[in-house]
Amino acid sequence: MNWTTRIRIVYQATFLVIFVWLLARLAAGDPRALPYSAFLHGDPLSAIGVTLAAGTLPGALIWALVLIALTLVLGRVFCGWICPLGTLQQLSSWLFSPRSRRESLQVNRYRRWYALKTYILAAVLVAALAGTLQSGLFDPLSLTARALASGLWPVLPGGRPVPGGWLAALLFLTILVASRWIPRVFCRGLCPLGALLGVFSRFAIFRIHRVSDACNSCKLCAFACQGADEPLGNHRVSECHVCLNCLPGCPENAMSYRALPPLPSPPPKPDLSRRYLFGTVLGAFAVAPLLRATGGGRDAARPRLIRPPGALGEPEFLQRCVKCSLCQQACPTGALQPAIAQAGVEGFWSPILVPRRGWCEFACVRCGEVCPTQAISRLTAVRKTGYDGRPPVSIGTAFIDRGRCLPWAMSTPCIVCEEMCPTDPKAIWFEVADEPLREGTARRVQRPRVDAAKCVGCGICENKCPVGEEAAIRVASVGETRDPLNRLLAGENPS
Amino acid sequence: MTDPYRPSITRREAALRLSAAAVAAAAVSGGALVFHNRRSVVAAAAPIPDWRVPLPASAPKAAAARGSDPGTNVRRAVAALGGMESFVHQGEVVLIKPNIGWDRLPEQAANTDPQVVAELVRLCLAAGAKKVIVTDISCNDPRRCFARSGIAAAAAAAGAEVLEAQRLRMVPAALPGLSAGLEVVEEIVRADRVINVPVVKHHSLCKATLGMKNWFGVMGRGRNRLHQDINRALAELGATFRPTLTVVDATRVLVTNGPVGGSLADVRAVGAVAAGTDPVLCDAWGAAQLGLAPGSLPFVEDAERRGLGRADLALVKELGTS
Repeated sequence: MNWTTRIRIVYQATFLVIFVWLLARLAAGDPRALPYSAFLHGDPLSAIGVTLAAGTLPGALIWALVLIALTLVLGRVFCGWICPLGTLQQLSSWLFSPRSRRESLQVNRYRRWYALKTYILAAVLVAALAGTLQSGLFDPLSLTARALASGLWPVLPGGRPVPGGWLAALLFLTILVASRWIPRVFCRGLCPLGALLGVFSRFAIFRIHRVSDACNSCKLCAFACQGADEPLGNHRVSECHVCLNCLPGCPENAMSYRALPPLPSPPPKPDLSRRYLFGTVLGAFAVAPLLRATGGGRDAARPRLIRPPGALGEPEFLQRCVKCSLCQQACPTGALQPAIAQAGVEGFWSPILVPRRGWCEFACVRCGEVCPTQAISRLTAVRKTGYDGRPPVSIGTAFIDRGRCLPWAMSTPCIVCEEMCPTDPKAIWFEVADEPLREGTARRVQRPRVDAAKCVGCGICENKCPVGEEAAIRVASVGETRDPLNRLLAGENPS
Repeated sequence: MTDPYRPSITRREAALRLSAAAVAAAAVSGGALVFHNRRSVVAAAAPIPDWRVPLPASAPKAAAARGSDPGTNVRRAVAALGGMESFVHQGEVVLIKPNIGWDRLPEQAANTDPQVVAELVRLCLAAGAKKVIVTDISCNDPRRCFARSGIAAAAAAAGAEVLEAQRLRMVPAALPGLSAGLEVVEEIVRADRVINVPVVKHHSLCKATLGMKNWFGVMGRGRNRLHQDINRALAELGATFRPTLTVVDATRVLVTNGPVGGSLADVRAVGAVAAGTDPVLCDAWGAAQLGLAPGSLPFVEDAERRGLGRADLALVKELGTS
């Protein structure tokens, strides 16, 4: 094995370990402020997508410039040396595909359909400009984090179930298994981040160079080529992952990776059909209004669409959420879950709070701390709880189901919702009443009532309610601080 | 020499294959017999041990100390009962059960004071305990509760093994008279001695949450069904869990909005700790710190009727302010 390959593998393994380790520390509730969102902060696809959708480049996403600069100097080293999904695909294709030289050469030739990733890039960016951000669905970092958070962590010891997690796991496994037949199939054919970096890598200073006089066209350079960028002929620079496998592959030492003069202008473009590209752009422009009007989100009544505390208003939230699952991974009670249908098609896999799975811990602000795009804004515990004197941040309101509530419906004492209520004074109070028993006598019980002005919708009442399956007290999103129109009380003044 | 139209096997081959078939048949039958009617679905319920130490009738039942330092109060109260050596012996495993139920700071008085817990850990270890376990099944996220209550750090620094909920194993428990299907922390069933360390707080259903209510924290899912008949359930818990010692923390008392609290305006600084071998007496003393007469608490009365202890405050040795 050549030293360039060895160094590359060390880099790949290190970044993969860091990526998984950060997710693990997040799930373990590590109190240290580790750079949990570092990978996503450096993700130019998220940065450009959010900027196009929201008209602003939130906070630390400015780090994406570092990766763009790196690509302008070295090419797509992110794909070949850093990206955890790329590393795992490469590992999978190496482990499961003993190939003859002829087959290896065959699978590493460029295919015309690899241009699909550029259409996907165009589609998600145009859709973002039209107001719906879907880049996260295809972003390799979000995709990997999703699969690990929803597909791996739930099955680890002590893991909490994530309904729908199998979808993320299945997609992820499909990509890895497909790499058995087509190495790095996602990178080559589907990855919009790779396509985006390919736009910049065309101008890279360091590129693969072939001394054509020394080349005897043996094609051994393409033997292990990860990007299918065909270094043997007219090198496709924007496809190159800078894996450097072609260097030791060449028996004539004709290949090198070095600073080169700019490519002749105009530089080689990906194989795009103008007709298809026009269709993609047109279609993507149509997606946003279509999803909004018919996808069942945003303006629909959505009582169970309970967003994390500090989440922006629904339109602004959807313009920023890249569906990376970091908030879900950070939530100490397992309350945050991916929305499958609750947020409409547009909000697929955006985070919602499911009180029967967990509750919003009163003084916890972890989800906002790790959100890479500030779709969930950073709160302080003092601000969230209202200990600063302003109204606390509310994510909904609890409603009592008098047909299921033990004191209301069964003349049976129970105070668990009130006991758990974290606000001070408690949002749940009691009305003492003599409830009839079938013998004709009565029993004195405390019937819970909700003071909607005090309730923050944290959902611990619903979570702890002893009535099985559907609780007798349930949280709906009405009264949430983030939406001035989703109101309940006339006197309510959102903070 | 075999005839291709009449296939046959040798005697040796036949014997081998017959014995292989016999072994397979025996294995299948044996397996069937072993697993036949095996009761694997319902695990045996663990009986709750009695952790009390036999004491002479003349021994003091409870002692209360007052002062600004919670650790000193613990030391004085336990010393008045004869010192920790009377309760914890060489090589024993002690489980300390404070209230670590809530994601609240010590000043908010929703959890047992960390200094009280730490002092008890030190006393147990000094008395020769092999291991001191501090645990509770929190209502809020256990990691936050253990960290923000200050108990995890204080108890660990004092030498205890702190077990958060996610590291606990639950076992089905024999809790006659309580809701079916309840589980308890395995470590408590295994412990040689158990010290119950409630904090005195207001509670909207049973007026005060004290020692008997503190046993909720060793039970798993389903414990919230016990509120439906809370006073009887508390007396039942008192009859089931017989601790070596009860140490009632009234360093700070949450007088309203319990058992969670939040506002510092709900907290009254009392600066007292009581230790006792009579859990009913300890709860009666705790109720008094909230300004409640023991007679006004049905679960205390019920427990007294069952002979679990006496709610006579005159039996508490008041040690005064240090």
